[in-house]
Amino acid sequence: MIPEELEEEMLSHPGLGAVYRKLKEELAGAADARRLEEIRVAYLGRKGAITAVLQGIKELSPEERRSTGRLANLLKQGLEEELASRLEGIRRRELEESLRRERLDISLPGRHIPYGTRHLLSSIIEEIEDIFIGLGYRVAEGPEVELDYYNFEALNTPDWHPSKSLQDTFYVELPGSGRSDVLLRTHTSPVQIRVMESTPPPVYIIAPGKAYRHDVPDATHSPMFHQVEGLAVDEGISLGDLKGTLETFAKRMFGEDRKVRFRPHFFPFTEPSAEVDVSCNMCGGSGCRVCKGTGWLEILGAGMVDPNVFAYVGYDPEKWSGFAFGMGVERIALLKYGVPDIRFFFDNDLRLLRQY
Amino acid sequence: MRVPLKWLSEYVELSLDADELAELLTASGTSVEGVEKVGGEWKGCVVGRILEVLPHPSADRLSVCRVDVGGATRDIVCGAPNVRPGMVSPVALPGNRLPDGRSIGEAEIRGVVSSGMLLSERELGISDEAAGIMELDGALQPGTDLAEALEVEDTVLVLEITPNRPDCLSMLGVAREVAALTGRRVRRPRFDLPEEGEPAASEVKVEILEADRCPRYVARLIEGVSIGPSPWWLRNRLRAAGMRPINNVVDVTNYVMLELGQPLHAFDFHLLRDGHIIVRCKREGERLTTLDGVERELHPEDLLICDPGGPVALAGVMGGENTEVNPGTVKVLLESAHFSAPGIMLTSRRHDLSSEASYRFERGVDPAGCLFAADRAAFLIKETAGGRVRRGAVDVVVKPEVLLPRELRLRVGRAARLIGITLSAPEARGILQSLEMEVSTAEMGGESPAGVAGEGVPPPPVVAGGEGDGEVLRVKVPTFRPDLEREIDLVEELARVYGYQRVPATLPRTSNNVGFLTREQVLRREIARVMVGCGLHEAITWAFIPFWWMDLLDPERKRLPERPLRLRNPLSEEASVMRPTLIPGLLEAARFNINRRIPDVHLFEMGRVFLPVREGDLPHEPLLLGCLVCGRWVPKGWDQEAVEADFFVLKGILEALSRALHVEDWSLRREEYPFLHPARSAEVLLNGEEAGFLGTLHPRVAEALDLPVGVEIMELDVSTLVKAAREVPPYREIPRFPAVQVDLAVVVREEVEAREVEGIIREVGGELLREVRLFDLYRGGQLAEGEKSLAYNLVFYALDRTLRDEEVRRSVEGIVRALGEKLGARLR
Repeated sequence: MIPEELEEEMLSHPGLGAVYRKLKEELAGAADARRLEEIRVAYLGRKGAITAVLQGIKELSPEERRSTGRLANLLKQGLEEELASRLEGIRRRELEESLRRERLDISLPGRHIPYGTRHLLSSIIEEIEDIFIGLGYRVAEGPEVELDYYNFEALNTPDWHPSKSLQDTFYVELPGSGRSDVLLRTHTSPVQIRVMESTPPPVYIIAPGKAYRHDVPDATHSPMFHQVEGLAVDEGISLGDLKGTLETFAKRMFGEDRKVRFRPHFFPFTEPSAEVDVSCNMCGGSGCRVCKGTGWLEILGAGMVDPNVFAYVGYDPEKWSGFAFGMGVERIALLKYGVPDIRFFFDNDLRLLRQY
Repeated sequence: MRVPLKWLSEYVELSLDADELAELLTASGTSVEGVEKVGGEWKGCVVGRILEVLPHPSADRLSVCRVDVGGATRDIVCGAPNVRPGMVSPVALPGNRLPDGRSIGEAEIRGVVSSGMLLSERELGISDEAAGIMELDGALQPGTDLAEALEVEDTVLVLEITPNRPDCLSMLGVAREVAALTGRRVRRPRFDLPEEGEPAASEVKVEILEADRCPRYVARLIEGVSIGPSPWWLRNRLRAAGMRPINNVVDVTNYVMLELGQPLHAFDFHLLRDGHIIVRCKREGERLTTLDGVERELHPEDLLICDPGGPVALAGVMGGENTEVNPGTVKVLLESAHFSAPGIMLTSRRHDLSSEASYRFERGVDPAGCLFAADRAAFLIKETAGGRVRRGAVDVVVKPEVLLPRELRLRVGRAARLIGITLSAPEARGILQSLEMEVSTAEMGGESPAGVAGEGVPPPPVVAGGEGDGEVLRVKVPTFRPDLEREIDLVEELARVYGYQRVPATLPRTSNNVGFLTREQVLRREIARVMVGCGLHEAITWAFIPFWWMDLLDPERKRLPERPLRLRNPLSEEASVMRPTLIPGLLEAARFNINRRIPDVHLFEMGRVFLPVREGDLPHEPLLLGCLVCGRWVPKGWDQEAVEADFFVLKGILEALSRALHVEDWSLRREEYPFLHPARSAEVLLNGEEAGFLGTLHPRVAEALDLPVGVEIMELDVSTLVKAAREVPPYREIPRFPAVQVDLAVVVREEVEAREVEGIIREVGGELLREVRLFDLYRGGQLAEGEKSLAYNLVFYALDRTLRDEEVRRSVEGIVRALGEKLGARLR
């Protein structure tokens, strides 16, 4: 209420000492706003004790007048501040108390705000796109109903080639046309040809989309599925560049701690060709049911673009080299998220859709 | 391709264990899909010698055999007729299981305890032979573990051989690969073939009419053979390699095919007319019954092996029944021919008939290997079926060039650049030589194989010391490698033997290459995000649908294409039409969920549909956005009533989408669609352009699909949406002066549409009327039948001043007057 160093002087003051002592006592016992108001009236009111001291000042000697006036004013001001702050505290406490009575059951559910989900396959495709956009690639597209030329021939897969399995291909009847070379693309690779036909090198693209194969649906086969194709053609592209690119991709997609393995393989439209495995995330590479005991999961096929393919699109294989790769989106989903059955992706069961 | 390691080790020394070998092969391109231990299923079976055969005391057809099983004698009851003293046979001891799963115990059989079981071949899972107990080599020691005695315990590598490597479809071929990878040498089978009698050519004539398709035909003649089962070692190896033993002659042809990769065929010589083989195409009216018992209609392009009487084999695919080796065969004509790959591929495909032979021919067999294979098989036939091999082989070569090794040039520097490694000429030479190629140096640097002057592309810095093309090697490719036709094929050989794992991982030097999404791609993602934000779940539905959807949705083809795109070879009728709309897929998805008691379905899909265009052109494949909602939009909660998923939910989503894409002008126009409720459907217009439709599924369609009424669907063309989308518009001034709000409720006749009322309000309100929002629609009460009340909240403001009440009042009066005049509306 008053500065500490004046305490002694105040207490020993003949007129104010007793008033001050009593005031302190009463303030200590005051617990509510009503009592504080009584105290205000009793000390600061027109007939209040401090008011009285101030009124009696003129009767004192000039010397006493100065010291009494100073102390009385100090006390008055101090009490006013003390009362204001005490009242504020009480009001705040009272508000808090009344607010506490407005208690909500916060365990009640929140109001319904609709929320939707992307399909897992779409999310994975976007993730793949973003990784490759970061590496300087653009996203290209091509038709799902394709010509044999783009799906097979220009990809160095002539009719009699063992890897052109007709049984795997859906053929399409164009109404009013006898054409027999129209099919549902069996992979996204024809986009490579279409892009190279229409664009001079260098080319860096990926092409996500649907592809179709004549497979009876089971847990790991679906007649409709999604692939992401990739193609890079530039001067001086090497097999090492393919390795580096796919290693970067695999680690972004599956985790930095995953190992990546390249095995020579065969594809008609790449040479040299490779299959790419990542270390199994289920067992950490020691071998389990998911990786069939090998410790490795095959995730994509790739290779250096075969010079014959360049010949089809009019690129000079002496000047340009490139690599291509293709991966199955469903397979990545199966491996990355443990979805047990490829058919689940096309059931559109909301209980599954809502999980992603 | 199954490769038993014991067999393989005849041709190359195996210095690694099975797993190491598997890893090495996989890393070099011969993928090992499995490492199988075989022979383990015979645990508890031993060699037994029958000492005595006693009659069973109480069963005529059974006997009791006293069998020495090595250090012990056991009594075994047996019903087989061929048991006799001294016979050595397999015995299953009690406490074990047979390969078929039966367990063997001490069993009392008609009063005699039998402690074990004498086994037939069928019981061992070797063959179907069950008439008697299997007889083993009499020299085998009783008590020896049966698997050990019969040498069946082995490790089999299961290899995935890619179509470019037909040379690996044989033990010798795999041995070559192993030798190259481990620095060993290949051992070819060695044998001395004794020949007897008149030359084979005195009785055999071979005539080739199709030189391109059959460049070479080798025939050998073996007479005096006796057909019977093969010796154990031969059957054992065939079994381990996955082939079923048939008889000694046929087994030898299969054995040599597996050993050397050359498919062989044996004819019963006496069933061939005149000993005259003619290789030609089909002639009018010819048919052939192949060994699988199928009588085949032949195709004019099918290559046939014929005698003067007609076809006797489908060349390179399967023999004919008419000349099949049979139990009575005594003289055999052995065919070891070369057929070119494309013809065999197409024949096999036409007849949907694949055999071990066609599988190899369609990939490419070594034309230089015919004679050696014929000799090898003749030798083995003599060994296993007896007889005499007639002097000489009939070896007809009508295209000698196929026997010459191909010559290629390899620019070492270019190879190193393509792989991304540093490679010296001696290293490259070493790798190629390990693959049995002959390598010599052609010249330094210079021209490309095509004869085009090298452009001197500067090598990337990864190739230390790589300048230009470097040394050029001249490489002779062995004829068993049909896949090596070009320089790039040699590059692949270098890369895979060098080891992909050793190639350093680098990134392309993408100097001026920038990755980004096009505006359309960005907007597609945005559309999907808006759908998700609106509460829809993304579906992906089948692109093929059953045809009946066409008639169900649009029997008169008012909207859907008259003739949709169909598959020529669908998996089933249920998946035979390429969807011209997303609606069937979404409705099926709704049905799937409703059937699983998930009645509130909120879905969208972005996918292509297929619309036929001009004759002969590829179809138009527009990307569409489909939405479906049914059931409740908001479920009843503790705090709110349920909201049905109705027409206006989808319209709200369309509004949200338009706002998100900044479509300036969008509207609905009342329009009928055969699959939509005729009074609850609309066409969606974006900037005046038709973009799709929106409405309630026609109750007729809903009923047919067993769906509830009130399924709301929308379909929009994504490219029209993208076209209508605007870039984010430039800044528009925000009012600094307070707005005036006025509520206005008017009563109109029921048939007056809200659009008309709002149109007049906006028109008359002028530019100071900034917002018009309907906040109440009311019927009944004091209103007359056929009347409704529409209540609007109007917001007026000016950008440059505070509006005076008077201005607003005059404007509202004008609005009310106009509504009265034009629509007969009155204030409520």
